[in-house]
Amino acid sequence: MKLEDATAFTARCLHGEPASCSYACPFHMDIRAFLEKASKGRWLPAYKTLRNATVFPVIVSILCDQPCRAHCQRQLLGDEAIAIGALEAASIRYTKNRKAESYVIPPKNQRIAVVGAGVAGLSCALNLAQKKFGVTVFEKKDGWGGSLRGHPRFAEFDADIALQFSAVRTEFRFGAEVKTLAELAEFDAIYIATGAGGDSFGLLESWGGELQTTSEPRVFMGGELCGASLMEGIAQGIGLSKTIEVFLQTGKAAPTYGDRYDKEKCERYLAHDGAVSAPRVLASSPDGYTEEEAKAEAGRCLQCDCVKCMAACEMLKRFRKAPHTIAVEAYNDMGVNPPFSIHTLTREVYSCNICGYCKSICPESVDMGALLQFSRAARMSAGIHPSALHDFWLREMDFATSEGSFASAPKGKEACAYAFYPGCQLGASSPAHVLKAYEFLREKYDAGILLGCCGAPAYWAGDEKRLHANIDRIRQDWTDLGNPTLVFACATCESIFGMFLSDIKRVSLYELLARSEEMTPVRAFPEAAVFDPCAAREDSAMQAGVRTLAAKAGVGLEELRENNRCCGYGGHMRTANPSLYEEIARNRAGASGKPYIVYCANCREVFASQGKECTHILDMVFGLDSGLRVPSLQEKRDNSLRVKKELMKKNRDVDFEPEIHEWDALVLIIGEDVQKSMDSKLISAADLKEAIWQAEKSGDKFFDESDGMCICSMVKPVTTYWVQYKEAGPGTYEIFNAYYHRMSFNREE
Amino acid sequence: MNAEERTWKCAKCKKELVIRKTVFSYLGHTVAHEARTCPGCGKVFISQDLAEGRMAEVEEQLEDK
Repeated sequence: MKLEDATAFTARCLHGEPASCSYACPFHMDIRAFLEKASKGRWLPAYKTLRNATVFPVIVSILCDQPCRAHCQRQLLGDEAIAIGALEAASIRYTKNRKAESYVIPPKNQRIAVVGAGVAGLSCALNLAQKKFGVTVFEKKDGWGGSLRGHPRFAEFDADIALQFSAVRTEFRFGAEVKTLAELAEFDAIYIATGAGGDSFGLLESWGGELQTTSEPRVFMGGELCGASLMEGIAQGIGLSKTIEVFLQTGKAAPTYGDRYDKEKCERYLAHDGAVSAPRVLASSPDGYTEEEAKAEAGRCLQCDCVKCMAACEMLKRFRKAPHTIAVEAYNDMGVNPPFSIHTLTREVYSCNICGYCKSICPESVDMGALLQFSRAARMSAGIHPSALHDFWLREMDFATSEGSFASAPKGKEACAYAFYPGCQLGASSPAHVLKAYEFLREKYDAGILLGCCGAPAYWAGDEKRLHANIDRIRQDWTDLGNPTLVFACATCESIFGMFLSDIKRVSLYELLARSEEMTPVRAFPEAAVFDPCAAREDSAMQAGVRTLAAKAGVGLEELRENNRCCGYGGHMRTANPSLYEEIARNRAGASGKPYIVYCANCREVFASQGKECTHILDMVFGLDSGLRVPSLQEKRDNSLRVKKELMKKNRDVDFEPEIHEWDALVLIIGEDVQKSMDSKLISAADLKEAIWQAEKSGDKFFDESDGMCICSMVKPVTTYWVQYKEAGPGTYEIFNAYYHRMSFNREE
Repeated sequence: MNAEERTWKCAKCKKELVIRKTVFSYLGHTVAHEARTCPGCGKVFISQDLAEGRMAEVEEQLEDK
């Protein structure tokens, strides 16, 4: 992975970028930071921010016409822009003991001549003198200041210049007019800033704009001489000091800051939902703000910085990393060399629902889920992924795409124009949903059936190999069926097909049901909210189909304030971050007091487990009532096989018998609490049967002789399962406890 | 009686378990920790408290590293 591969995902992210005011400011001062410090009364840090950006803080605070105020986003709320000039003055007034900047660095040999002691020349001279270059300022008048010398407040400007130069060594030659550049032959670089109408030594025509070069290699020009305003002139001098430094090191005049200050970005405003209007603080004295007034006015700054995704998404909020940081860490993690360095993003990478919500609310459509999925795929490719986080789901997918798979046209046919693609979870959760829906589709559309798994578990695990092998399998089945239009019951399946099998025509089951006159869904609740699955975000037809069905049943529908958020299931993040999953599921369930109508088996399961009243739309359509019952892992497997068995019989007249293991005959007695615990730990009854069968056969187990209680374990590649049980009859065992760990250990000999 | 209070014995060797330092590994890292083992055949017993407590903690840290 190259850094650019990761940062490409967040290139357009606005977070951390300068605010609109900074783009308008001639000095590109970090106004946000200045105001943040001022709002806390941290006058010295605020003053330093001002001084470092403007070089002559008193001159600038008095004379700048504050173009930043035209782009202060307070105005979007109908408020007056922040009184920046008054606050700059306050920071100067309230900073005790203002000192000039100086660095402890060794002196440099190179010498620079500055022609003209106006503020443009002076700002360049000061910055270079601070870097310990030998700077000589030539000025034909007998003092500095240039065009400011006649100003009524020149005394204050004079004092500012004197203060800022007080800590550095600069040679001033006043009353010395430079007649030709040949006089300056001994200098390594020359800056001509002789003011409006001043002598340009014949080089004005050749002035190079932004880099301030001329046709003479080591001669630069700027300031009011070249048509800049006073403030622009100071800013040019500051920029040029950096250009000259690079020139003296490399012999080339190259830009030293990139395109970060594109002028147009001063019009890039954010949405400020929820911000409260606040009028400008008025100064009680003609001399300016008191400290408290200044703090209050500075506190009006909205600190414009886009945090939309970080404020809205529980995952981003919890980990608190900014998008640019996440991209850089995703790249860095690929180069980690244990034990010398560690990964920093792993937990976050696997905690994402990959639901697309952040992208949908981002003003620049930055997709953090796509970045994190990309990181998962890179980790798995490199073999550094923690297998345990997705292993269970990949094994389920393997089951659904092998033993649980089946493709067939309707009975007696070889090909079909439509085929039902229910996905792996619907039948597992409720066989009746799949069987009755298929009945409808077979009757109305002569549809075939395609049982399998779309590969979402592999996509979410970053398992490109498994994903693409399965895509190829699907394509083969689809071709064998005569390239039918596929009817989807699951929005996630549809979105996977949209990404990897986009040429296959898709339609949702719910639209087809909604079109059918005979369908009379049963009312489950008088009032409800439709909870759209996150994957249906772009699918307005599917969303409308479900609402039509619900309305047909006479349910009073309420729209959720936020649509298409993930219920918590997405990305299979529960294993990686159980507490975050709980927080998300709870928040979603609590988004409305009304019961939910869902059309995703996983959403249904999440809400049912939260005790939230809900129903799958297919329950309403077919007059069923699944209540809040959630099948166990074992029941889900059995359900899937039952669906396949019935459809194989119906379509091909074949009796399908699932593979039987020796331990299948065991009977387990599992109490409700134990079952719940097993499901949340992703331990299935089949795993326990296998463990117990092996333990009883080999005698390899622990026992408590006081009552015959046993504990045994079973080691699988990624997980070791433990089960506590007691024999309750021939081939029958009562389960008391089941748990697991991922670490392996060696038997002591 | 909960599992922690019970006296577990190895079913094969019929011996009571003793505490021994055991080496665990996960994701290429090794960690040593005390665990109950059979003095006869060396079989290691991991209680639920250990598995879902200290082991789960360390597993999470190692996954993050």
